[in-house]
Amino acid sequence: MPPRIRSSQVLHRAESSLLQCSSNPTAPAAAGRPSSSYSSSTLLSSSLSATSSRQPSSPCCAFQRSSFSSTASRDLNRAQRTFWEWMRTDGRKLRDPVGHPNYLKAGQQPFPSNNAFKSQPILSDAARNTIYNAVMNEGLPLKAVSAKYNVDMRRVAAVVRMKEIEMKWIKEGKPLARPYAKAVQSMVPHSHLSGEEQDPFEPINDIHVHSHTMQQLFLPTSEARHFTRQDAAKAFGEHILAPDEKMRIPELIAFEKDLVAGVGNEDAEANFFKATAASERAIADKHLARAQRDENNKTRVDSGRFEFRFERISVDSAGQDGRARRGVGWRYGVPFNDRRRAVVKIPTKVE
Amino acid sequence: MKFRRMARFHGLKRPRIRQTWNKYNLFNLAKSREPYFFSKTFFQQKWNAKAITRGYHGEHIKERAWERMFSRRLLSVVDMHPDYMARHDGSEQAAGRGSGLDQDPRGRKGLVVRNGSSTKPTPYMQMTFAPMERRLDVAIFRALFASSARQARQFVVHGAVKVNGMKMTHPSYLLNPGDMFQVDVESVLTATGRKKETSANKAKSSSSNSAEEAGEAEESTETEVPAVELDEEVVDAATLKEREVEALKKLMKRAKSVIESQSKEMSVKRKKALRALIKDVNSTMSRVSRTTSDTMIHKTGDVVDDLMNLLSRLEVGPEDAAKADKESREAEYATKEEQNLLRKAIEAELENPRDPSKPYATPWTPRPYMSAFAFIPRYLEVNQNICAAVYLRHPVARQGLGEVPTPFSIEQSQLAFNWYLRRG
Repeated sequence: MPPRIRSSQVLHRAESSLLQCSSNPTAPAAAGRPSSSYSSSTLLSSSLSATSSRQPSSPCCAFQRSSFSSTASRDLNRAQRTFWEWMRTDGRKLRDPVGHPNYLKAGQQPFPSNNAFKSQPILSDAARNTIYNAVMNEGLPLKAVSAKYNVDMRRVAAVVRMKEIEMKWIKEGKPLARPYAKAVQSMVPHSHLSGEEQDPFEPINDIHVHSHTMQQLFLPTSEARHFTRQDAAKAFGEHILAPDEKMRIPELIAFEKDLVAGVGNEDAEANFFKATAASERAIADKHLARAQRDENNKTRVDSGRFEFRFERISVDSAGQDGRARRGVGWRYGVPFNDRRRAVVKIPTKVE
Repeated sequence: MKFRRMARFHGLKRPRIRQTWNKYNLFNLAKSREPYFFSKTFFQQKWNAKAITRGYHGEHIKERAWERMFSRRLLSVVDMHPDYMARHDGSEQAAGRGSGLDQDPRGRKGLVVRNGSSTKPTPYMQMTFAPMERRLDVAIFRALFASSARQARQFVVHGAVKVNGMKMTHPSYLLNPGDMFQVDVESVLTATGRKKETSANKAKSSSSNSAEEAGEAEESTETEVPAVELDEEVVDAATLKEREVEALKKLMKRAKSVIESQSKEMSVKRKKALRALIKDVNSTMSRVSRTTSDTMIHKTGDVVDDLMNLLSRLEVGPEDAAKADKESREAEYATKEEQNLLRKAIEAELENPRDPSKPYATPWTPRPYMSAFAFIPRYLEVNQNICAAVYLRHPVARQGLGEVPTPFSIEQSQLAFNWYLRRG
């Protein structure tokens, strides 16, 4: 509401209170009329300060700030009063860090209405160092580290990747955000990955639920049939994989099978490490072979100043109609939208 | 943000929960209740739920852009246990008449456990806004690098963010699993730290002290960090400073005594070194004891390095240590503790220096009300030291847990999901 109108309201209120004080019996009826308030505003201006003092929020600082204004400060509405009351009581507890997680609702629940979301622990600095040492210094395969500490394989890789950068920064003398890191670690629940008795950090054997398997399916079979997970997957679709094939660390199943078969714990572990190392080596070999194949496809000519790289390409990669996406170069009749207006050019990947 | 816009953004009259760490937002979050749906048609319910949820999830994103992003395919996972899979091939679940044998009807004792199923429902509906979490600006906010999604967006636009080592200026870039994003450390510290005490702030602080008591709302809305906190900060820093000064004083005293007692036996070089130490200690003390710290300290690192060097030389002592008598040795033992204290003080100072050139209050402390909003969802792995994070995978729902951080109940999310399904 503009201040001009507000000031007239205040005057109006002042007038009405004055009129109520007077013993004139006709005065209360006249109080409601705005015309009288305009006419008497100059007369009543001296009594303004007296009436405004009864308002709950008439801080003197409001006048200090704008000393030229005769406008009275605004009243607090109910919502604002509730807010400030809350700030003094419950909100006060949430203002400053207390050294441990401090959320609106107990049970690590930052959103009171959503009990399906919890603030879950993060890895502490010590835990990250442990993981980094296991991978880089002890040379354990990622899968083995993941299984040992119950940390997702992708997280293990991310921890190592970012730790490398951190160490590079330290080497270069680039300042780290240590105070910020400490503050966050004190506010968010965290896990040190130290004790055996601790709850597992996170599930590492998650498998994706394929949308084809979310429907209910009635499949008539004979009662005598030995209907396994593989059969169930087939029933949902030819291309649906059984859970055993979707496992991120299938070596863990082999490890458990060893235990069931009566192989000793140490031997089973040794087998597990061997298998995971082999699988990791196979992946590395595959990447190496691909890089080698790409390299073989290239001819490098070093002119001293520039290195020219010639790549062998196939005309057939443009497909039968010449419009296949893998086709190289400008092709007749195929739109080339690189610089066209109103075509989204936000990258879809960064490598 | 301008006050007028902020008042509507974090309104108390028509509250909307937003992706910020603002105190008004915290209040709205604490007081949020389920909307009143009894007298509303299904369309109205959906409309309301859509409006409320979109006020939080990417309110800075155009509706049409979100509609394109929306996916009715909600991702979920099931935790399969290898020990169960090794012992069973799944046929036990299809035994009998097709749904497994009921081995012990009294107490469900013989049932196979850990087969990936539990009694908790999977909150699929909380995944309605999962595609939004893929956006770079939202991910930066979720990694606690910015105090609001809009601020995160500004970081990206202003070129403070790298994705896989390359500068990325598109806030709508959709992260792929495995992408690493880095935010400029100074930007993060500015966004998450307390506001600096400027002259304008200071003038306000004296008035807002009384204003807060009087319950004036307007005053402190403008300053997101109420200035009362700054006084407390000074007090905290003062006690720490006192300890530092004390340690430095002790060190200086000791150096003087060493010079006095062994002045005849000491080499000139060592004497010089000790004098330099006293000088440095003096300058450090004056620097530390300065309350307002108006002057710039460029050589902080040099001074502290020199101090550390001299300290180590004092500790070991070249040829004089052997000559020194019993008393001085005892004195050396006594000062070990002080040395440690001093070293700690210096390290703390180095790590979190008082530097008036920074755009935030130094030494750095988290901004108020940050802890109530501080959580890191599991689909991110964050390294706070270098202000970098990896988007590990898309958020998923699992039994009893929806990974998308949403402040709304399942019912509200479901209505919003139904709105975007566009099926009457």
